[in-house]
Amino acid sequence: MNYHFNWKVIVEDWDKLMWGLLLGLEIAFGAIIIGLVIGLVLAFASHARQFWIRAAVKVYVTFLRNQPPLLLLFFAYFVLPRMGIRIDRVESVVLALGLYAGAQLTEVFRASLANIPKGIREAGLAIGLTPVRTNTLVVLPVMFRNAIPALGNSFISLFKDTSLAAGIAVAELTWQARKISTDTFAVLESWIAACVIYVVACMIIAQLLLALERKLKIP
Amino acid sequence: MNIHRNLGLAGLATATLIAIAPVMAAAQQTESKLYEVIERGHLIFGTGSTNVPWHFVDEKNELAGFDVDMGKILARALFDDETKIEYIRQAPDARIPNLLTNKTDFTCQFMTINTARAQKVEFTLPYYREGVAMILNKKGPYPDRASIDKALADGKKIRVAVLQNADVEDTVHDVIEGVEIDQYEEQGLVFEALDTGRADGGIVDLSNVLWLSKKFPERYAHGGDGEKASSYGCAVKPGDQVWLNFINTALREAMNGRDFDVYAASFEEWFGVRPPAPKIGFPIENR
Repeated sequence: MNYHFNWKVIVEDWDKLMWGLLLGLEIAFGAIIIGLVIGLVLAFASHARQFWIRAAVKVYVTFLRNQPPLLLLFFAYFVLPRMGIRIDRVESVVLALGLYAGAQLTEVFRASLANIPKGIREAGLAIGLTPVRTNTLVVLPVMFRNAIPALGNSFISLFKDTSLAAGIAVAELTWQARKISTDTFAVLESWIAACVIYVVACMIIAQLLLALERKLKIP
Repeated sequence: MNIHRNLGLAGLATATLIAIAPVMAAAQQTESKLYEVIERGHLIFGTGSTNVPWHFVDEKNELAGFDVDMGKILARALFDDETKIEYIRQAPDARIPNLLTNKTDFTCQFMTINTARAQKVEFTLPYYREGVAMILNKKGPYPDRASIDKALADGKKIRVAVLQNADVEDTVHDVIEGVEIDQYEEQGLVFEALDTGRADGGIVDLSNVLWLSKKFPERYAHGGDGEKASSYGCAVKPGDQVWLNFINTALREAMNGRDFDVYAASFEEWFGVRPPAPKIGFPIENR
């Protein structure tokens, strides 16, 4: 291969890559929070007695889970302004990925909810808790603990999906790597550096989530 | 008897020469992409597909544009058949990697010749000299340059969209100062940003602005030019002088020689003006 590596450009622009990584993590965090809220609400709603509520949840989940996240991103950024709804670039990414995560997490929490023994809910009601307090104080913590492994996978997946934000000029890690590549023509170095950073970041996130899972595990 | 023997020896010598001629020829012929392409029977040509009038998909769902026509000039030079091309559609940031990894034989994709790129690839003769300009959305809040200048003077934030590229900040400032710059990975997204109001203006090639403001006069306006000119060249993987020389020969004869009519027709189609014909006598490229 007739290519001369120049790693100096990566060292010189390391701070830009790190800022991009930080922005990606912030976007992923914002999206997972939105996804968590949507997922929890819809997971309970999927067990509602009213048919129209259950149907609405199904439509939301089916529609969003079967969309490529990039399409949702373009919709939030380019289409919403034409409908009079104008949100900033980073917020567009957070919203799009948050709605997408919400659909994924609805299914995660719904499955987790279904696996909770009936006796737990009955015990809550038996000691005088209202149905709402039973759900919030008794069912939710158990459901959440069961869902942590899947939540962790969703967060890592969301973090990787933030690379799509480069498509709408958000200066996260992928965008920064491409900027270095186009400015310096150090094509291989830029993309190798980005790959390594993504791998290391995902490994660290996975270890932190594993530690959290162990901490919350009932002995 | 002697005659028969001499004839026999002559025949044997001739047969030997005929048998070893291909081996001798192969040993003498330099290794080059040129011979590889000729043997293959078609050219693998890298170009884009999202930028009028350079490279885009027309109503017949075929690639068209000035860059595409440069590929056809080379295919004609190689095979006397402009259809002997396998097109590799690539994003701008794949131009150099695709050459270096042999995915393409050569690329013409509005590639600005600069010294940093010249360290990675080898450029052909320039086939166009480009300027930079601002394109405005006539249906947006700033339908002309005067309104943008006034907004800037009033302290308003003006955002321009541009293709992510080398020295892009300098490129923008050549046209307009004091604006925020959004760098997109595809030219199509630059126009999407302009059309949807995500950007107040777009900084693109002058040829783009002229084409679009002529084709869609109700939608786009020309918002001013930069002063710097850029040369566009095709590019090849470094280290193959034979291949580079051949391409330069084909391009030079298209721009200045017997194939001028083909080049001129393409130039006129995409840029609206016919280039001056080469004068007979003193070769114009030596001036």
